[in-house]
Amino acid sequence: MIAVGLWFMNHAMESYSIGTLRRMGPGFFPAVLGGLIAVFGVLIALPAFFREGDPLGFEGRPFLMVCLSIGVFAFVLERLGMVPAIFALVFCAAFAKPGANLIENLALSVFLAISAVAVFIWGLGIPIQAFRWNI
Amino acid sequence: MEVFGDLLFGFQTAFSLQNLMYCFIGVFLGTFVGVLPGIGALATISMLLPLTFYVPPTTALIMLAGIYYGTQYGGSTASILMNLPGTPSSAVTCLDGYPMSNNGRAGVALFVTTLASFIGGSIGIIILTLFSPALAEVALAFGPAEYFAMMLLGLVAASTLSQGSPVKGIAMVLVGLCLGMVGTDVQTGQQRYTFGIPELSDGFNLVAIAMGLFGVGEVIASVNKIRDQKADQRQKITFRSMVPTKDDWSRFWWPMLRGTGVGSFFGALPGTGTTISAFMAYAVEKKISKTPERFGKGAVEGVVSPEAANNAASQTAFIPTLTLGIPGDAVMALMLGAMIIAGVQPGPRLITEHPEIFWGLVASFWIGNVLLVILNLPLIGMWVKLLQIPYRFLFPSILMFIAIGVFSVNNNTFDIFMVLIFGVFGYFLMLLRFEPAPLLLGYILGPLMEEHLRRAMLLSRGDATVFVTRPISAAFIFVTTALLLWAIYAAIKGKINPKIDD
Repeated sequence: MIAVGLWFMNHAMESYSIGTLRRMGPGFFPAVLGGLIAVFGVLIALPAFFREGDPLGFEGRPFLMVCLSIGVFAFVLERLGMVPAIFALVFCAAFAKPGANLIENLALSVFLAISAVAVFIWGLGIPIQAFRWNI
Repeated sequence: MEVFGDLLFGFQTAFSLQNLMYCFIGVFLGTFVGVLPGIGALATISMLLPLTFYVPPTTALIMLAGIYYGTQYGGSTASILMNLPGTPSSAVTCLDGYPMSNNGRAGVALFVTTLASFIGGSIGIIILTLFSPALAEVALAFGPAEYFAMMLLGLVAASTLSQGSPVKGIAMVLVGLCLGMVGTDVQTGQQRYTFGIPELSDGFNLVAIAMGLFGVGEVIASVNKIRDQKADQRQKITFRSMVPTKDDWSRFWWPMLRGTGVGSFFGALPGTGTTISAFMAYAVEKKISKTPERFGKGAVEGVVSPEAANNAASQTAFIPTLTLGIPGDAVMALMLGAMIIAGVQPGPRLITEHPEIFWGLVASFWIGNVLLVILNLPLIGMWVKLLQIPYRFLFPSILMFIAIGVFSVNNNTFDIFMVLIFGVFGYFLMLLRFEPAPLLLGYILGPLMEEHLRRAMLLSRGDATVFVTRPISAAFIFVTTALLLWAIYAAIKGKINPKIDD
């Protein structure tokens, strides 16, 4: 187990429990929960200190690009509509893996955009605009 | 027989054109994601959860259920041909399925697994049909105290018996319960933990949580992990290669029936899903076999029994979900979530108040299982081709479906950002080896538990002994305590000798 990571986890849990205790009024249940979480946080963290830590294996590149692609999608969707948002998403996501290929991703974007319009707008009638101009 | 009349009614519901179509889509998608490693039933069902808003509840549930049991069929294909489990529950199938494939008997392996899956699934459905109405009748006598105790048992069982450390499992349930608290308090109307954000007053969006934890988190983790594979092309799977020998048949029936028994039992228990059933079934076969040394080298029993077990389990898992409203695992929790979204109150009254949902679903299981046999045997070549879609095309597509899907729930980009946050959270949980599945269970059961707890306290005028003085509730509490003690015992034993991990 990952000693350092668990310590952060535990810390977050404990500060959360303080937040719950403040609201004793309508929330007997959350207060009890908060307390229990703190207890379990300690239960997990204590043995973790005495164990050998594994490397975390965190992968920055996919993490960053996947997050970015979703964020960009939401941002573009509100301003330019769904089709440009899909293009933005695919291109951001492609950089999560090394060796992205421009033409391949262009083809994938076109394919996804067409199927998304067909399924979501024509098929299910979801009120979402394929293109819009709202900057 | 009353059951047949009800079942007939169910078939009438299930045979409507729309339901048939969605059933087909469900099992098709299920086989598809089952075959593909790196995306499972949970992620797919959470991606399709928004559909519940656009089609009638019965139809949506038929489709979501189809995905669930469809993956059980598809998962074995990848295990046998590539030694890569498409789903966790078919990991055991690799042990003997891949050696069979290496011996040039891939066709036989695929045929017997599909047949075992079908029969196992069918027996699971029969058990579901016979026991659910009776169980629901018993459950009608339950008061709030019993419900609370039962949910407590469900949560503890799910978190201690699932993969990974039980302490972490319980911690995850607790975090889930807390997430379930966010929003407007049902009884006083008080806003809790919304921090003045109006979008949070209805609580976190279930779709956003599920997609973030199981969809985005998975994608981030597997972008670099999954290498593009070439499927084994050495042997062509023809119909002739599928015919089992006489010896295979003699090794088929009993393991299949034993697997079904094991699967049906563990499937119906809360907290033990298809994966545990398959592993147990394999262990049982190996133990009672006269020639255990054949296992791992392509023994027919070793693929038949676990596959029958995981399919039986995927059907009987619906028993507690549909009759009690208690989900056995995260997939069932999502099904419950889908019902709640559609405005259908899960619980023992479901069968009497919404017979079209219950019996329609049961009937659709039969149809779905028949469709799956058709999809898996004659069309096996198509799935083998699908195994060759590179992941670099797959994951942007998954991300797109997640983003559009979650947006369509409320037509609100706020939810897309929520997915992002839960995705990051889910990825870190995965890194720290916390299971996200119990969290989802806690999130869905949390508000229900709080309500029943408060109601029980109101009825007993604040007397907490009500949980141990009412016999049914006391029994649930007893089992819960026993499970917790066992978990503590296992944790201590694991610390003294950390090498005995499993």
